[in-house]
Amino acid sequence: MRTTRRQFFTLTGGALAAASLRLDVAPALAQAAPVKLGILAAKAGVLAPVGESGLRGVQWAAERINAAGGILGRKLELVIEEESSPKDTVERFRKLALHDKVDAVSGAISTGVGLALGPVAEEMKTIWLSWDATTQKGVEETMPKPKYSFRSTDNECEAVMASILTGRHWKGKFKTVAGINPDYSYGRDNWAAFLAIMKKYGMDVQVVSELWPKLGATDFTAHVAALAQAKPDLIFSCHWAGDTPIFMKQAHGAGLTKSTKFVLTTGGGVHESLKKEFTPEGAILGYNTFYFEHARASALAREFVRWHQEKFKEWPNYESDHGYFTIVAYKTAVERAARAAGSKWPSQDAIIQALEGVEAESLSGPRRYREDHIMEATFFQGITTHRNKAYDFVTIDPVETMTTRQIQKPSGVGLYDWINGWKV
Amino acid sequence: MIARVAGAAAMLALLLAPVLASPYQLTLLLPAFAYAIALLGLNLLFGTTGLLSFGHALFVALGAYTAAWLTTRAGVLALEAIVLAAAALAAVIALPVGLLCVRYVKISFGMLTLAFGMLFYSFLYKFYLVTGGDEGIRVLRPRLLGQTFAGLDKVGFLTGPFYYYALALLVLAALVMRRIVRSPFGLSLRAIRENPDKAAFVGVSVRRYRFYAFMIAAVFGAVGGALLAVPTGLADPQLAYWTHSGNLVFMLLLGGFHHFLGPVVGAVVFIFLQDAVMSLTAYWRFVFGALLAVVVIFFPGGLLGLLARERPA
Repeated sequence: MRTTRRQFFTLTGGALAAASLRLDVAPALAQAAPVKLGILAAKAGVLAPVGESGLRGVQWAAERINAAGGILGRKLELVIEEESSPKDTVERFRKLALHDKVDAVSGAISTGVGLALGPVAEEMKTIWLSWDATTQKGVEETMPKPKYSFRSTDNECEAVMASILTGRHWKGKFKTVAGINPDYSYGRDNWAAFLAIMKKYGMDVQVVSELWPKLGATDFTAHVAALAQAKPDLIFSCHWAGDTPIFMKQAHGAGLTKSTKFVLTTGGGVHESLKKEFTPEGAILGYNTFYFEHARASALAREFVRWHQEKFKEWPNYESDHGYFTIVAYKTAVERAARAAGSKWPSQDAIIQALEGVEAESLSGPRRYREDHIMEATFFQGITTHRNKAYDFVTIDPVETMTTRQIQKPSGVGLYDWINGWKV
Repeated sequence: MIARVAGAAAMLALLLAPVLASPYQLTLLLPAFAYAIALLGLNLLFGTTGLLSFGHALFVALGAYTAAWLTTRAGVLALEAIVLAAAALAAVIALPVGLLCVRYVKISFGMLTLAFGMLFYSFLYKFYLVTGGDEGIRVLRPRLLGQTFAGLDKVGFLTGPFYYYALALLVLAALVMRRIVRSPFGLSLRAIRENPDKAAFVGVSVRRYRFYAFMIAAVFGAVGGALLAVPTGLADPQLAYWTHSGNLVFMLLLGGFHHFLGPVVGAVVFIFLQDAVMSLTAYWRFVFGALLAVVVIFFPGGLLGLLARERPA
């Protein structure tokens, strides 16, 4: 035992002596030093494809900004860390703030991570521009008035839009509904919002089945069997990850796609995997805030889609746009604040002030941050079609767009108070 | 002599770290201290008694959720009360779980602990009203010995008062554990590990002693969990997930489970290694998997085993 302790102290003593050297002392910030932006992108598990998508949008934005001379002459430098569990991601955030001394952090998708990061961003006094992860709990309870955190659109926007479209297209054409949604806050929030809106619209729907498969599930046999037995007129699902095509394939195999109506609020997250062979025409399908084949897409969006397809052989999804916007919003805010500061690099407080209400051109059109730090954007949903020769997966036609002013609760109002206040 | 000097130097370095090290390096030491406490307990079960638990994260998560529930929902901010409550709750939960698990050994024990761990994970995930579901519950900044340290921001609090608090708790935990493993009770546990039949023959109540070891390990796990949750500021279900239990076992193997301070070394090295490798590559899990294989195959005694000239009892 004595030997062990001796060796332990030798080892820890050496390690601590090494660790005690200050590695984080930076020289005084020169005006031309790069702007460091910390990026938190998921790289493993069910979140990985979406995290990668967000990262692509961020990198494209940074490349373009740097090619055009940077922000006020300072190049953008990305310090990329991984989003994983809340505990590990909080540690990554601290590393970005304390060790890398980044000017701001962009990223994070998971709601649990989002809830943990919000308070940490406030404590670390570091601007955090979230890609996603905006739950009601986060907005109403955890951080009602954040200073440093800028959040994405609400979780329920997609369910609200899909519910409005459901009412518009299918009111009176269905009676029984079933929900199959991933078992976490996003799934629960969306299903609850859908049911509340059905009630508000006076559609006397009867819930015949509520299923909560684990996010990222790879087998839906039991769930599909339950749905086949319940025989709902309409199935509502807000799956968005790699589990979506698995579910659709099994649902198709069980004959559910023949006559059942489908509302897939967020399936556009994995749109390329929704093949025509098992995804029916006539379903409502949501693409969140970016539809890669929008006829009225801007030149910027077309350029991004082309770049994405050439480089990755894939058509991009919404997370790229969330990531892209956070970077251009930061740039726009810095430039806006600099104008007020006589073209000098503005203080962090001035940048925060400029971010509030900032509007910038995203890939899906103009976006902005509200004064309460919530993102405003345009959402894309539509009716699935097989009539597209270029692809082996479904697309939507017609494409419907709604802005967050229509489908996101306003600042300071509870979601269900807002829905109940609608004039129908 | 060299050991005493090195030990004194290491303690001095730990005591002076808040002055010498960067705030980020200090924030990395905090989870290392918390894990070290949990691992001291786990090693009583594994290294000393010979029972490998694959569900020890259950108790770490229990401690974290105790901190979350008390600070957020009950308004209890005194960390002393939180740590005591976590320890007490762990004992209450470990009572039935331990009674069941210690009826089995080897793989059956491992699988049962894994099952209970995942059961608790499902409970945390599904019971939204009590546990906050997937989003978990926030852990508010606690008071230490009645002091709020209101003048310090969170980083100042974590790298100052909380650092010393966690270090003191680790030293206390290590002293208590050393007393336990050196006691006749500890000797009996080692006898059970080496040969339970012989131990029983000489009058050791094998199942009862295994149960006591399980209870002590659970209490240490929860105390570590309560400390772990404060820097994160959130208790979430992933703390109870089986991969977290796997990480705990990895830390033990890395440090060397034959050695009393192996868990402490394992925790510190794991945290700093993970920090470095995570920043270098997205494939850090692969690197850690390979490292685990290397440790198990070539260095089964862990880091301290590498340096040891003799295998301690």
